[in-house]
Amino acid sequence: MATAHHDEHPAGLMRWLTSTNHKDIGTLYLVFALIMFFIGGAMALVIRAELFQPGLQIVNPQFFNSMTTMHALVMIFGGVMPAFTGFANWQIPLMIGAPDMALPRLNNWSFWLLPFAFTLLLATLLIPGGGPSGGWTLYPPLSVQGTMGTDMTILAIHMMGISSVLGAINVIATILNMRAPGMTLLKMPLFVWTWLITAFLLLAAMPVLAGAVTMLLTDRHFGTHFFDAAGGGDPVMFQHVFWFFGHPEVYILILPAFGITSQIIPTFARKPLFGYESMVYATASIAFLSFIVWAHHMFTVGMPLAGELFFMYSTMMIAVPTGVKVFNWAATMWKGSMTFETPMLFSIAFVMLFTIGGFSGLMLAIAPADFQYQDTYFVVAHFHYVLVSGAVFSIIAGVYFWLPKWTGHMYNETLGKWHFWLSVIGFNLAFFPQHFLGLAGMPRRIPDYALQFTEFNQWSTVGAFLFGFSQLLFVAAVVQAVRGGKKAEAKVWEGAEGLEWTVPSPAPYHTFATPPRIK
Amino acid sequence: MPMTRLPEIQRRAIVRTAVTLGAIAFALFVYTFWRGVK
Repeated sequence: MATAHHDEHPAGLMRWLTSTNHKDIGTLYLVFALIMFFIGGAMALVIRAELFQPGLQIVNPQFFNSMTTMHALVMIFGGVMPAFTGFANWQIPLMIGAPDMALPRLNNWSFWLLPFAFTLLLATLLIPGGGPSGGWTLYPPLSVQGTMGTDMTILAIHMMGISSVLGAINVIATILNMRAPGMTLLKMPLFVWTWLITAFLLLAAMPVLAGAVTMLLTDRHFGTHFFDAAGGGDPVMFQHVFWFFGHPEVYILILPAFGITSQIIPTFARKPLFGYESMVYATASIAFLSFIVWAHHMFTVGMPLAGELFFMYSTMMIAVPTGVKVFNWAATMWKGSMTFETPMLFSIAFVMLFTIGGFSGLMLAIAPADFQYQDTYFVVAHFHYVLVSGAVFSIIAGVYFWLPKWTGHMYNETLGKWHFWLSVIGFNLAFFPQHFLGLAGMPRRIPDYALQFTEFNQWSTVGAFLFGFSQLLFVAAVVQAVRGGKKAEAKVWEGAEGLEWTVPSPAPYHTFATPPRIK
Repeated sequence: MPMTRLPEIQRRAIVRTAVTLGAIAFALFVYTFWRGVK
């Protein structure tokens, strides 16, 4: 059980630099992710400000392209992934009754690689030639022709990749070796399951990205021609290798979100999760399918018909396990004794809005239709519905859900609800019109556009600013809860189930030094 | 105060898992690069 007397640790900066404690490292990851969300968000607002009107107003096209590239890299590798790793660090040991992560020193290193990686990435904006500007996908030949910023980006990606792989190894080693006696795999909370599967995806996908960017580097500086058609190479090969990483990456960004949602909805519906085992198998199926759908990102490169058909049908198949999940969340709520605290509101919004993103994904999966949608704002709308109202909403929901456990204080519910409604309105205003822009043919990653797209772009920009600034309410709610407020009980929520709710709030520095016994 | 030391058998299992997974990750990196060379 919980032990409150083992909480001596270095104070001040040394605590955070040298910590091997899963809760400290979890906090570091979450704070880092929050900072990155604001940096990446500021970049998004630069993009939206420029697109408020047709013509070039605020930034030059080169800088605009850097913003689109860096916004994606910062949000994916600096925001969403570290946020989920923060949750993993805090929650996995608490949920499986382990005293800490299996490899605490490695855990420290995994985190501390990140600030250096992102300093390097962001520093590209300060060097001659500016930041990388060929898109986060780093397609050659643009990325081969880029300035030194591209080299710095490649090194930064290597560091992020090492951090992710080490983190994944730690998660797998923890879950496979540190579960409390009696906690069989099919007794694990769903968040733990989704992270176990995510960790395997990370382990299989990140080395492929490392291979791809290493080839880019050698093409740039060591005379190789992997992707240079003039030298016998093939730029399309980069796209294949990149998306072999890139599609599992999409699921790396969403599976832990499924896990968080699967913890929150049963809590506030006061019912056990409907179809627990089918959720586990659906998650595993999604993970498997994620490795055989990559070329749907590149239907227009000119593939054999059989390839187009294979990737079209395999992509559509993902809708089946995803549908199982959405059905199970709905069935969990069905006839539940529901209340609508902030985490639940964000989770319900997650289910509804993520499903919209899923449906637009199905539209994009249809190869002949994709020829029309490719590289338009429809794609931008699609993946923001999946990644913002999907991944980011679940992260926010998870923070509100577990914040009382982490800090020992309840957050301000009124502030949380304001945050929710402004976020939902701002988000939909920002991204729903982008579907129409895309269907009408507005291309992505271009700082200027034809006059007829003006109105929807203006709506989108207003929504983006509303969404962006409403996140300050989130910071206010978190800071308030960290500093004080109503004391949280051990079992913060009436319907909460699981080992993390058996320890006091805030969770003591060391927990489960003696493993609990699971019946 | 340091955490209680895990039993030796559990420590070995953790190291075995980590080394195996690390080797798989490195092999995948090398394989990707080698496929590019081919």
